[in-house]
Amino acid sequence: MNVAKLLEDRRKQWNELERLCDAMELRGRADSAGAGHRGPAGIVRFASLYRSACADLALADAYQLPPNTVAYLHRLVARAHHQLYRTRSAQPGRWIRILLEEAPQRIFEDACVRVAALVFFGLFALAMVMGAAEDQFPEFAERVCGSKMLEATSESFEQPLAVNPDEYSARAAFYIKHNTGIGLQCFAYGILLIPCLFTLAYNAVVLGATFGYMSRDGIEGADNFFQFVTAHGPFELTAIALSAGAGLRLGMGLFYTRGMSRVDSMREAGHRAVPIMAAAAVMFVLAAFTEGFLSPSGAPYIFKVGWAIVSSGLITLYFVILGFPRSESTDHSVIRTVRYADLAPLPGARGGAESPQKVSATERDPGKRTSMPVGGGSRAT
Amino acid sequence: MAAAQPLDTTIGVVTPENIAFEYQLAGPFRRLPAYLIDLAVRWGVILLIGAIILMIAGTLSFLSTFYGPLAQAFILVAIFLINWFYGTICEAYFNGRTIGKWMCGIRVIEVDGRPVSPRSALLRNLLRIADMAPVAAINTWDPDVPPIYLIPTGIIGLVSMMMTERMQRLGDLAAGTMVVVDERKWQLPIAKVDDARVAALASYVPGDYRVSRKMARTLATYVERRHFLTPQRRREVARHLTDPLIERFEFRHDIDPDLLMYALYYRTFLTDSSAEPADLGPLAGYSPLAKDANKPGGLADAGVNDASEAFGEQPASQATPTSDILSESRPGTENRSPLSSSAAAVVEPAAAPNVAPNVDGGSGG
Repeated sequence: MNVAKLLEDRRKQWNELERLCDAMELRGRADSAGAGHRGPAGIVRFASLYRSACADLALADAYQLPPNTVAYLHRLVARAHHQLYRTRSAQPGRWIRILLEEAPQRIFEDACVRVAALVFFGLFALAMVMGAAEDQFPEFAERVCGSKMLEATSESFEQPLAVNPDEYSARAAFYIKHNTGIGLQCFAYGILLIPCLFTLAYNAVVLGATFGYMSRDGIEGADNFFQFVTAHGPFELTAIALSAGAGLRLGMGLFYTRGMSRVDSMREAGHRAVPIMAAAAVMFVLAAFTEGFLSPSGAPYIFKVGWAIVSSGLITLYFVILGFPRSESTDHSVIRTVRYADLAPLPGARGGAESPQKVSATERDPGKRTSMPVGGGSRAT
Repeated sequence: MAAAQPLDTTIGVVTPENIAFEYQLAGPFRRLPAYLIDLAVRWGVILLIGAIILMIAGTLSFLSTFYGPLAQAFILVAIFLINWFYGTICEAYFNGRTIGKWMCGIRVIEVDGRPVSPRSALLRNLLRIADMAPVAAINTWDPDVPPIYLIPTGIIGLVSMMMTERMQRLGDLAAGTMVVVDERKWQLPIAKVDDARVAALASYVPGDYRVSRKMARTLATYVERRHFLTPQRRREVARHLTDPLIERFEFRHDIDPDLLMYALYYRTFLTDSSAEPADLGPLAGYSPLAKDANKPGGLADAGVNDASEAFGEQPASQATPTSDILSESRPGTENRSPLSSSAAAVVEPAAAPNVAPNVDGGSGG
């Protein structure tokens, strides 16, 4: 067969497809490739060119095309494929659904979030008690945080809270950058499990010890300190626990595969972790705005306490009301897997259906056993 | 017999059109420059935005003290957003490419060949920090500096890339993506045959000889590569295949193996089976068959030393019809044929025909 002639025939279309790809790579549309490629007609033309290139590639083996030509076709088809199947741009509606539907469901059912929350809040409470109980655990807080830092903390809260309102936005931005960054870092390190747990425990213990130290008697600035932390506490602490939980989910996917291949297990874990992390990021941002605008302000304490209660309530509603497992959830596969133990017939049914077979089997068995020696014996004789 | 998987970095992907096409995976040495470019671009953008915001805030600060902290806020948020989400945004909007990836010619796709989804792009970019672990401290080199762990070593990502089939780092594994080479060189290669002897020899290949699929592949690869070899090497490489073929076709044993490979390529890819016999021109009447070796072909008594001149500038027209324009120039060899080993035998598709290759090359090989 004359490959040169064949290639010469096909080359015109391949060149046209290349020109279209060039135009689309530059501008995202094929308009500039020529008058015939504008609008719907251009799309149809591109699709048919792509399909014929695909067909050429499919037949390349049958035609016994030279390897170089096949490599060229692979590249051409891949290139057109990238232009035909482009990334769907992120629609805001989709992310809202992820945040309001998928995330709470995942958080509710995810054991890793529970573990992370237990570790974080447990260590936090423990460190706080130990830091506050000066008699039983002398110098615990000082050893954990360093006395210099504790003194600096208490000093910085000696004055009543009255930050210049001009500064609010900068403070909020700082908290967004700093705290959300820590949360994201905690999430990313979750894939390695240990660094994530370390970050989580470290933050819990340091925060708890600081809280404990400040709640001792006779510390200056304690009132202001608690005024400051009350408003944004619920959002921020929950967000830290959530991001660590999402990270742990990733790490568990890597190390505990539940019968899947490791790669598949990681992909699934990643898919499940993203909504949780997104929820945590939103909470971090909310906490940062609270911390920037409300916490340092001179607003009456009752207002800050009110906001803390409202935010805790919102989080609870989010987790429980939106997160409660729904029966109509389409997330699960229609095909259900059943354990072998569940497949065993009910006790009542055993007498009817099962036993005749069993009996017949036992009847047949002895018969075989007895006939075998007979057969063997007859052959021997 | 199942074809062995080639031991290289290509990976097959089946498209919705049910076509399996191949990607070349991008390894660490393609991805590192892309990352460094991205790093530079990221901080360049941050500095640019910072400068713009400061300029605007500087002009506005005459009006109120409010704008100074606000500018600071914008800069902080910009640093945060760009540092964490630069890769995600670029990959989601530019079809799997960041600026660095675009310059290095690589692209992120999902492992099943689809374009990367925003969710996957987010996940793989967030997890980059874990792939960059462990971080080294600056004071490893300078003991005066306080122990700040700043310098990412990327060992975890590197190990992960080396150990996975698709060269994925941990972020890629979790997001189900891979990075492939996105070639931008577009040329359609097909070797051209300018040598009259090729068609002549091809016409003597028995009609019942069918080139197998594997043989066709080998022939094409050989012809595409042969410009890179010296004539001696060509013969050395080709001999392994052509020696049994010469036996089978009952050709003379001094046929140039390279020429025979070329003729088979010509016959397989460049002629129609139903085409009329090639116009042999001056070579008509000459036969490479072993049984014809003693027939008077006019070659045996023709001069041999002017072979290169005859071949180079003044082709066949000036020589005798069956001149030895293409024959071996080694003196003292009997039964010379135009199809026997000669360095001047085949015109390179790339080389100009009048650049006469070394005629004496044949004697060496």
